[in-house]
Amino acid sequence: MPVFPSVEWFNAIKDMVNVDPNFRQLGTVDAVIGVKVENKIFELTFEAFECTKVREATADDLRDMDFWLEQSYDQWKEMLENIKKNGAADLTHTMNTLDLSNPEGFARSNDGYRRDAFYRFNQSIQDFFNASAKIDTKFAAKEAVSA
Amino acid sequence: MASETIAIPDDLRAKAREKSWPEDLVLQALGAGASAAQIIGYMDQGVTPDQARQFLSAQSGGGAEPSAELKEKAEAAGWPQDLVQQALAAGAAEADLIRFIDMGITAEQAREFMAQGGGGAAPQFDLSWMQVPTEWNTRAKPTKHGLTLEAINIGKYGDIPDVWEYSTEMPRGAIPIPGVESMGYSIYQKQEVWSDACARLYEEAIQRRWRPATDVPWATIEPLPDDLERAICQICTHISEKEQMEADVIGRWEPEISYGYHEVKLYLATTVFENVRAVEVFRKRALSNGGGLGIQSPGWGFRSIVDARNFTEMAVIQFVLHDSLTLAQYQYGEKYAKNPAEKYIFGHALQDKARIIEYGITHLKYVMMHRADRREEIQRYLEKGEGMLVQDDSKDSATRESFAIYFAGGKDNIREGLKIYDQMRKRHLEQYLVRLKWATVDRADRLAPGLRAYLDS
Repeated sequence: MPVFPSVEWFNAIKDMVNVDPNFRQLGTVDAVIGVKVENKIFELTFEAFECTKVREATADDLRDMDFWLEQSYDQWKEMLENIKKNGAADLTHTMNTLDLSNPEGFARSNDGYRRDAFYRFNQSIQDFFNASAKIDTKFAAKEAVSA
Repeated sequence: MASETIAIPDDLRAKAREKSWPEDLVLQALGAGASAAQIIGYMDQGVTPDQARQFLSAQSGGGAEPSAELKEKAEAAGWPQDLVQQALAAGAAEADLIRFIDMGITAEQAREFMAQGGGGAAPQFDLSWMQVPTEWNTRAKPTKHGLTLEAINIGKYGDIPDVWEYSTEMPRGAIPIPGVESMGYSIYQKQEVWSDACARLYEEAIQRRWRPATDVPWATIEPLPDDLERAICQICTHISEKEQMEADVIGRWEPEISYGYHEVKLYLATTVFENVRAVEVFRKRALSNGGGLGIQSPGWGFRSIVDARNFTEMAVIQFVLHDSLTLAQYQYGEKYAKNPAEKYIFGHALQDKARIIEYGITHLKYVMMHRADRREEIQRYLEKGEGMLVQDDSKDSATRESFAIYFAGGKDNIREGLKIYDQMRKRHLEQYLVRLKWATVDRADRLAPGLRAYLDS
């Protein structure tokens, strides 16, 4: 059972969406996106119709990404549990909603221009995380991602 | 016109010397009606003297040169060379002529046959177009994104000049015909319209299409309290109105842009499509749940776009200032959506709008990088656009109040909703200023006071 957050977990999602015609039908996505869960950082590379690469990254790598998604461990867990329960994010847990609900923003970037990729590819990124409804996720201990 | 009476301009003479075109060929081209500028263009495209001679020969009905095999057979069969040349010029294929000769058709029979107009044989063909000296052997390759506009911009076809010289609809890379009527374009300079992102954005727009009629989960809309339904319907009225206006304005500018910048024209065509898709989907929402349309907008802000006298003026006010506001409205609409259908609508519309904004700021940046002297001019356009937006704010209570009610979940909480509305306006301006800054335009200290109030709130 893939553990969130981990390269294995993101690769499981990546492998699903890359063969999903519905994901392809959303159109091309060209962005390098970060996922920050407390002190754990992951980099997801999207090119054309696929997520082409997943790797664990560092804080320094964030500046080279188009944007990264950051919220607390508890918030990530709540979001993914909501997706699992409902098959997709419900009305109060979409990426955009989370972004507006967080005073510091959910989608962050050092470059306001590049951050707009969060809007341009919003539904594809949402679809990527919605795909987690199809797997059983085990959550890493909070201490493990905060260390 | 006798070639002796044609003078070769100095610039053409110099170019001909550089490209090793003999003088007689230059005079022949001028005599055929090509202008000096066109001939220089051909030379710069790499047309060789041999290619030019073949082209001119075909244009004058000279036909293709017979092969050695045909010449040999014709001589053996007693067909004079002028008869062979005449037959080729009339459109006869070499293989057919060889077959006729092998069948034993005499020269006299062939002349009689052609004099009768072919007697029901193959029609007369020109085929000179097959000799045009354009860059040939082009093999664009598909990429991960497919065969894209960027992928086919190779060789001469990828040369995007700073100034486009042709006033007709001739595609970039094709050969012009003298005398074709002008299309009346008004935009011939790259910096007036260009964005380094436009080819990529075109492909993205094509790939990321959605279909409101069938993709939106319309069945998830359930009856809403009257005040909420009225609020969302007023919002839909407002959005339908301004998205149609934007589509109309872009549509008016399309024919002004010369064909050399087809990447821009193609991309702008997708923005018209995306804007009318927004008109479509928001109008459908208004008419699908027991409500209807509301009141039109005062439209002060629209005038600064409709009245723009140059493309960049329109682009910065519409694509950067106004569309940043619309994007913020879509962000908040998505967050406060009352059902999956509205969530879907706002969520997809914001993708389209973000793409248009990207074109706007990348175009602005291109202008700033290539025409820094236009900086104050751009500031003035933004000043005008912001001022008119403030006018709209003072007169458009319907938009403000409808959004507030929608955010608050009802008229009873409108005051709370107005706070959220102000947050939305603040977000719009923060993102607007950041985008301008990326394009090297700083308006932090020059923002219209009526808008600054949102930042200070």
